[in-house]
Amino acid sequence: MGRRRVAEETAGTRLKLDGRAAALMAAGFAAGLAFWFAFSGPYEKTVASTAGFLIRIFERPAVTSLSAPGGEIRVDRSDFPPASPRPGLPAADLHFNFVMLAALFAFVPHPLEPRRFGRFWLAAAGLWGIHVLALVFQVESVYATRLGAWSEAHYGSFARNFWTAGFHFYQIAGRFAAPFVLWWMMVKPDLPFRMSDFGRRI
Amino acid sequence: MKGNGKAATSNRRSLLFLARFVALLLGFYFVVASNPVNDAVIVPFTAGVARICAVILSAIGENVSVASTEIRSGDFAVNIENGCNGVEAALLFGSAILAFPAPWRRRALGLVAGLAAIQALNLVRVVSLFWIGAHRPALFSSSHTVLWQSAVVLFSVLLFLFWASREQRTRAAETVGEHGPSPGR
Repeated sequence: MGRRRVAEETAGTRLKLDGRAAALMAAGFAAGLAFWFAFSGPYEKTVASTAGFLIRIFERPAVTSLSAPGGEIRVDRSDFPPASPRPGLPAADLHFNFVMLAALFAFVPHPLEPRRFGRFWLAAAGLWGIHVLALVFQVESVYATRLGAWSEAHYGSFARNFWTAGFHFYQIAGRFAAPFVLWWMMVKPDLPFRMSDFGRRI
Repeated sequence: MKGNGKAATSNRRSLLFLARFVALLLGFYFVVASNPVNDAVIVPFTAGVARICAVILSAIGENVSVASTEIRSGDFAVNIENGCNGVEAALLFGSAILAFPAPWRRRALGLVAGLAAIQALNLVRVVSLFWIGAHRPALFSSSHTVLWQSAVVLFSVLLFLFWASREQRTRAAETVGEHGPSPGR
């Protein structure tokens, strides 16, 4: 346990912004992309089942069930007419930001060091929680705005705006900001970089 | 004890930055998402992005036409929406710059230069996505959702880190200039 590591543990991580860091970020992006492609299916199932569970907790009667048959989250309610189509929500839009998280963590020096790799997975767990929450907002916004007279009968003006704005915020800003915020919290980047970290004097 | 105090200050600053960043992001989101701003600023801006991209696409041999925010060729069309017009990366970048402690003049310079760079990259994104959609449609979805969105946002994060480190170094140099080098340096 060197002095450098102790200092970083308490004060933050000194970043480098040079060719090697750029290559690491690209490698992290590629690795994250490969992992994301490989495990999207099972990942979507855990997100869908947890979000469905959370929705049912606050539903009277509890009728919602979410499934992830592949590439989309399917919304089902036991009170839907059996022959009616079930809404399908694009799943990749929800969780592709995992790739950004992987790229950002690869940018940190020695990204595979056990402590740093552990922090990456801690951040990934946080991102999973955000995906679950975003899916709850998305499903509720579907219920609040896309089911015609049923939506108007069951959701007031405040509820419609709350669920729709919440999910819209995730779509426009939240899904891009989430990996950055989690990365910043875990890495605590120590600014400024050193002059030599840029490979040239500015 | 001194080290612990420094670490605590660093942690506090770090958390303060994040709190300001999230608050600004929420504030900017509500401004951008409001109907008057969307109709008067965002839609015309996006239509401008579409027109510039159409000029570039025409220059590289694509036969395209533009209607508001939509670019269309014979058998392919894209509608540029929020999330594809660079505004999402601009919100992130702008919130980070404004949340970071720095003089207003240097924040303004960082904003202007950074937003210009983000928009330049976004033009490359829209043009390349249109080309991919028209000529390699099987690759369009993954290129659109994962590759380009991630690339533009990561680029804006790197721009912010670059600006922030320059800003901190400039401030450190000014402090040394005001007080002179400390003994023993």
